[in-house]
Amino acid sequence: MQANSQIACHDCDLLITIPEMEENHTLFCPGCRCKQFTKYKQALDSSISFALSALIMLVMANGFPFLSFETQGQNRTITLVQASQEMYAQGFVLLAVLVYAFILLLPTLYLISLLSLLIPIKLKRSPMAPIFVGRLIGYLLPWVMVEVFVVGVLVALIKVIELADIIIGFSFWAYVGFVIFFTLTANIASRHQLWSWIENARR
Amino acid sequence: MQDAKASPSPDNDEHVADISNREFGQGSAASAGIACCHTCHLLSPVALEECPRCNSRLHLRSPHSIQRTLALIITAILFYIPANLYPIMTTTLLGDTTSSTILSGVVLFVEHGSYFVALVIFTASVLIPLAKIIIILWLCYATSKQSRLSKAELTRLYRATEFIGKWSMIDIFVVAILVALVQVSGIMAIEAGTAAQAFAGVVIITMIAAHQFDVRLMWDRQQ
Repeated sequence: MQANSQIACHDCDLLITIPEMEENHTLFCPGCRCKQFTKYKQALDSSISFALSALIMLVMANGFPFLSFETQGQNRTITLVQASQEMYAQGFVLLAVLVYAFILLLPTLYLISLLSLLIPIKLKRSPMAPIFVGRLIGYLLPWVMVEVFVVGVLVALIKVIELADIIIGFSFWAYVGFVIFFTLTANIASRHQLWSWIENARR
Repeated sequence: MQDAKASPSPDNDEHVADISNREFGQGSAASAGIACCHTCHLLSPVALEECPRCNSRLHLRSPHSIQRTLALIITAILFYIPANLYPIMTTTLLGDTTSSTILSGVVLFVEHGSYFVALVIFTASVLIPLAKIIIILWLCYATSKQSRLSKAELTRLYRATEFIGKWSMIDIFVVAILVALVQVSGIMAIEAGTAAQAFAGVVIITMIAAHQFDVRLMWDRQQ
């Protein structure tokens, strides 16, 4: 068997022998110069704590007003979920489901699946269905669009800022915090890192 | 920053016989009969058929990569037509109803002098989807023919395409927020339009197409 001393570059398929790596160093493919993975310091601990922080932020983002819109004495305040609910009410069911999935459902599923793997590993117990969860995480990640949503909100605000007074709610800031923690988590718990944790846990 | 040294593949010669007379890139895992698992990236002899770590099917290259990518790109192009013809949202302001398509929305911002927003919307909704479609078509072509760009440059182009894919969703999120927020009874209301669905289709299908494309095929081509 190959043991785990070698990887193949996912872009050019060059065989690479993993050298001795110091912490926080990144391995690049010598053939096509693409990034392979970074070896982070205390990766397991930081993944768990960032993922938990992201979850807490996400809960907070759902409990407060997201944005308020005031014009001619009338006020309209929306929560985060309403971003997809209003489309549903207008009959765009598919679109509403997609928006809901991309900004709330899939990231939540990702964080919960990741924690269900990492917390037992940290406590030296065996996680439940690690292979299934590991594969699920790989399928979920490309469809998480939380950072795109934040930029979308900002563009939408620029669009309406001349029409009315906009008040950015606490929920928005919580969501921004969630995006930051989510990105950190996904960065540290890279595919390479994730599967080496799973492999060690199965032994 | 640290680079690894490429190492020739040892002790896997017995599997070379399993590979058909296809050519693979020099020093590549495939040329040694080693498959890199699609799911967990573990290396194992392709003869095992299933990844010993995550049970995924092993392939040296994604099966029917080019055909699947092309089929998806054609679908995306078809979706792109209604996405531009139909209105993406309808604004009602004091009883006055205006429908705007993606392009007329951009033009509106230019007329208002908001060049920055116009640029963001134009890049995300017009430039990126079109560039993605063209780049993926070009890459499919480049796997079989000589190209003016080097393999490394084409690979960088592919990586950029894959990275940028989901950013086209900006426009859909903008519509979602506007539709939810701008609902002041009797004064103004915004409704989503048919084009939003078609456009979401374009974004999702091009994302899958980019994922289906196996960039390693380009490195198998002999210079």
